[in-house]
Amino acid sequence: MKALYRTFLATQVTKGRLAGLGALGALAVVLGVALGAGDGDDPVGAGIGLVSSYGLALFVPVTTLVFASAVLGEPNEDGTLVYLWLRPVARWRLVAVATAAALTAALPVVVVPMTVAAAATGAGTGLVVATLGATSLATVAYAGVFTWLGLRIRRALLWGLAYILVWEGFVAGAGGTASLLAIRAHARSLLARLADGAPELVEVSLATSIAVPLGAAVTALALTVRRLTRQDVA
Amino acid sequence: MIEVSHVSKWFGDVVAVSDVSFSVGPGVTALLGPNGAGKSTLLRLLCGLTRPSQGSVQVLGADPRRDPALFRRLGLVPQQEALFEGISARAFVTLAAELQGMAEAGAAAASALHQVDLDPHDRRPLATYSKGMRQRVKVAQALVHHPELLVLDEPLDGLDPRQRLHLITLFRRLGEEGRGVLVSSHVLDEVERFGSRVLVMAQGRLAAEGDFHAIRELMDNRPHRLRVRTDRPHALGAALLASATVVGVWVAGPAEVVVDTLDVARFRLAVAPAACAAGARLLELVPLDDDLESVFRYLVGAGARSAR
Repeated sequence: MKALYRTFLATQVTKGRLAGLGALGALAVVLGVALGAGDGDDPVGAGIGLVSSYGLALFVPVTTLVFASAVLGEPNEDGTLVYLWLRPVARWRLVAVATAAALTAALPVVVVPMTVAAAATGAGTGLVVATLGATSLATVAYAGVFTWLGLRIRRALLWGLAYILVWEGFVAGAGGTASLLAIRAHARSLLARLADGAPELVEVSLATSIAVPLGAAVTALALTVRRLTRQDVA
Repeated sequence: MIEVSHVSKWFGDVVAVSDVSFSVGPGVTALLGPNGAGKSTLLRLLCGLTRPSQGSVQVLGADPRRDPALFRRLGLVPQQEALFEGISARAFVTLAAELQGMAEAGAAAASALHQVDLDPHDRRPLATYSKGMRQRVKVAQALVHHPELLVLDEPLDGLDPRQRLHLITLFRRLGEEGRGVLVSSHVLDEVERFGSRVLVMAQGRLAAEGDFHAIRELMDNRPHRLRVRTDRPHALGAALLASATVVGVWVAGPAEVVVDTLDVARFRLAVAPAACAAGARLLELVPLDDDLESVFRYLVGAGARSAR
């Protein structure tokens, strides 16, 4: 499976993607430094605001979408999936390796700059640890969901952006029951809880804020395996 | 090795394969048909890449749609050209060998590339390869694990004559070793060089099957249609009928006669004397149905006639 993992990584991690997403990461660091240089009276609240409204709302889901939707979606669309599908390999293994490759690509791109940005705000270790935890959790959850989306539909990048902006941003952002079904809301809850900040949109236990995104990822991966088993291959 | 029983496949309103039944054993079998005849869909059905709408497919005793373990014994050269562009041929074929569970994947990949006359030490990415080289990489990944059955969808497309000969020799050798090799092609002469059993598909149906020479004879014995341009079409038509070298004549325009003949060679010998006898000038003689599409249309018609 090493060769498969390397192939997935090689096909996903392109210079263009790294440059574009690296710029978004650099912007996060710049915003963190700007916050840290200010003289606000609530650095923790300001730091949570940055990680939440830039990192968890945009940077983390978009970056993960770019890598995860492509990992099986591109081979499915260009026809190279046949070279993986027509092998005596359990479908869940293919999906697991694909998702692992997407995570390998996405995690450092989002977690490192967001953690550096959190540190740069000067809000303390609590926010840094919370950022590390919340962005990692969100990346894992989005990786599962967007790997499935990439295999399930064409132009997954556009549909994924619509999901991020419309469902996670607009519908779930309004609060209420819908926010319980949004990965972002649980990640924000985890962030606030770990950083000792004010409660976020959903007030759930620590265990729930971790279990729901992970459950979403596992469910999405199960759907991906099912899809890969049943679909036609070009 | 392959048992196809009353298989049909449709996509919405489009019938790609219609009630096809045949079996294939060891050796080379060619699947011949014009573009759009349903060859690729049939090969995809055989490999489990899509499920039949009707009927059943058994490959090496298993259902290819339900049994991924079968893929250890099966190799496919698909029609699509896309490969993993950023990696080398060696890495691509090594990936195939690893996924097939081969212990010495790198060495197996080198050997497979060597078999198709490619340099295993070439580190250039596949994106830089010509169409012929890419085609050979596809063949290498299909045979790297020494499958019992090779399914090849137009594997000679884009190859130069030397490489065509090389691969044809390779496929024949694999067939002689007792492996099953099913090769699709839309080029009649190409299929002739396999010297094999032939399945002919046209319009989604199996139009003919059997030894290539028998099918070639059937193709050669079909009526041929030709157009003759002349200044006196009616007189020439009558003279041609009198020569008994045609089975049908009609005047298709003010300076044009169309004829059907069962023996083109005899007709060609008779047409000039007939024109002389009719006092007509011969301006042009054009075969109307020498293309492969016409041959397949005839075979489909023959299939339908024999079915009746």
